[in-house]
Amino acid sequence: MGLKLAFVDYLILALYFAFVLGIGWRLRKKISTSGDFLTSSHSVPVWITSLAFLAANLGAVELVGMSASGAKYGIMTAHFYWIGAVPAMLFVGIFMMPFYYGSRARSVPEYLKMRFDEKTRAVNAFSFAVMTIFSSGISMYALGLLLKLVLGWSFTASVLCSAAIVLVYTFLGGLTSAIYNEVLQFFLIVIGFSPLAILAVMKAGGWSGIESRLPPAMTHSWQYMGSASSNPMGIEVFGLVAGLGFVLSFGYWCTNYLVVQRAMAAESMSAARRTPVLAAIPKSLLPFVVIVPGIAAVALANMSVGYSLPLKPGGGPDYDQVITTLMAKFYPAGMLGIGMTGLMASFMSGMAGNVTAFNTVWTYDIYQSYIRPGAPDRHYLTVARMATVVGVLLSIATAYLATRYNNIMDLLQLVFGFVNAPLFATFLLGMFWKRTTGHAAFTGLVSGTLAAALTHGLTMAEGKGGWIANIHTFPSVMAQNFWIAICAWTTCFVLTIAVSVVTRPRPEKELEGLVYGLTPLKHDIGVSWFLRPAPIAVAVIIGLALLNIWFA
Amino acid sequence: MLDLRLPTGWFFTMAGVILVIMGLASPERAALSDANVNLYSGLFMTAFGLFLLALAWRASRREP
Repeated sequence: MGLKLAFVDYLILALYFAFVLGIGWRLRKKISTSGDFLTSSHSVPVWITSLAFLAANLGAVELVGMSASGAKYGIMTAHFYWIGAVPAMLFVGIFMMPFYYGSRARSVPEYLKMRFDEKTRAVNAFSFAVMTIFSSGISMYALGLLLKLVLGWSFTASVLCSAAIVLVYTFLGGLTSAIYNEVLQFFLIVIGFSPLAILAVMKAGGWSGIESRLPPAMTHSWQYMGSASSNPMGIEVFGLVAGLGFVLSFGYWCTNYLVVQRAMAAESMSAARRTPVLAAIPKSLLPFVVIVPGIAAVALANMSVGYSLPLKPGGGPDYDQVITTLMAKFYPAGMLGIGMTGLMASFMSGMAGNVTAFNTVWTYDIYQSYIRPGAPDRHYLTVARMATVVGVLLSIATAYLATRYNNIMDLLQLVFGFVNAPLFATFLLGMFWKRTTGHAAFTGLVSGTLAAALTHGLTMAEGKGGWIANIHTFPSVMAQNFWIAICAWTTCFVLTIAVSVVTRPRPEKELEGLVYGLTPLKHDIGVSWFLRPAPIAVAVIIGLALLNIWFA
Repeated sequence: MLDLRLPTGWFFTMAGVILVIMGLASPERAALSDANVNLYSGLFMTAFGLFLLALAWRASRREP
């Protein structure tokens, strides 16, 4: 499809590049220790960490993927936000942040080391480091592909150019620069995409017009959840709530260092706890910006207004292009520049998130722990800067690998899913049950991952899985993923408890600040009640309930 | 420490002004919309940018 950018669109894109680089340049002088570079030394204001917390997750893959799911599954996609992300964000802020921030750990793997032992940290640190590289490589690949398809830009040029800009500003200003830019990027994403939602919904005759043109299962998030066969996602209530709402979402938002790192950069314990809680407010509203355009697109395609869904070369709708085809139809030159810059910004915020999480875990949890401990801090600062460069280079290599071996990428993402699924059980027990031991955590994590692989090997969905035998067929891959997560989590939870009971617990004295019940929680002293995380969380929950009822 | 409201405010003010100029100068409309998208989003972005700049300016006056 032909989308042609005008001079003014390039001007806006150039302006954006200048600003992100400028922010990195201005922040370069702040860096004198590895802590400044990798963890911002607890100095970032809370409104900035909150928006960065959101933006680091709002990469191009998510953005394009959410509008694509909106077109494919309808408003049910909002479950990823309304029963998935938001409750998990409230939980991590209120209940888990006291231990992440209060333990003075510099990273999530380091918390595991303090709470459990070296081997549990090692599993988490290595898998996380590899994962960040691959996810930034895959999003780079997706962006390069999209820009080539939509604008005819060369894959190499867009990949190298966008990676270079991310590299420069993260290299100059470290995590602070990444976080500051994520805020600019967040605003740009919202401002670049919301007009699209408004224009597309208006054109389709408002929400009621959309409802009249689509099958009812696409405009109701709960009514058709009773059985898997009656809704487009192919999932029933229990699988959705337990698999997506509990295991996967809590696993991601509560244990993924990529997002937790942003909250840990906040200037005080109270601010760190408020970070995800405040972020939950815009997060609840994001579906209107990222999912609704996809739904409206399908409605528009059912009208005769001159919009049709983009098609794949082999036939069948190409949902990943929904957002860009809508832009082509609704944005004139100028606004189109803002929209494309928003897409670029989402890519960069996601990639910078991965790169800054990677360099910290590499420097503190791998290099300083296993390769060269005890060196002066200057040395680690150099290592951290080098890790930033190497991380970006490896991501670029991954992006090119993805162009050649798409199957390997699918396989890797599957394996990462297996590794992530049991994580939340380990953290939950570690933080709230002082009896949990290191051997138990390690056993639980490893067997949880194996359980995930086993579930995948024994079940099938849409022709995927079942490489051992097929004892059950799921109606959709999504349902399969949710149930894999449930099995992995349960295995990890049960085995961690079982092994803890038969292994020797650590003395309570060593667990102070790491476990609930052994940690004095005095973080809210001197903060007015309406700024405390719990009252804000209650307000968010009320809003969330209303949203769920409204779109039920 | 850099006040992030400054660069963010400047960016949206500048981009907003560009869009307003586009909206006023060229009658170009997108295929599916009769609205002057550039003008309205430009005005909104300019207002948002100026709002951030005003906040930053107020904060800098309070603590020199």
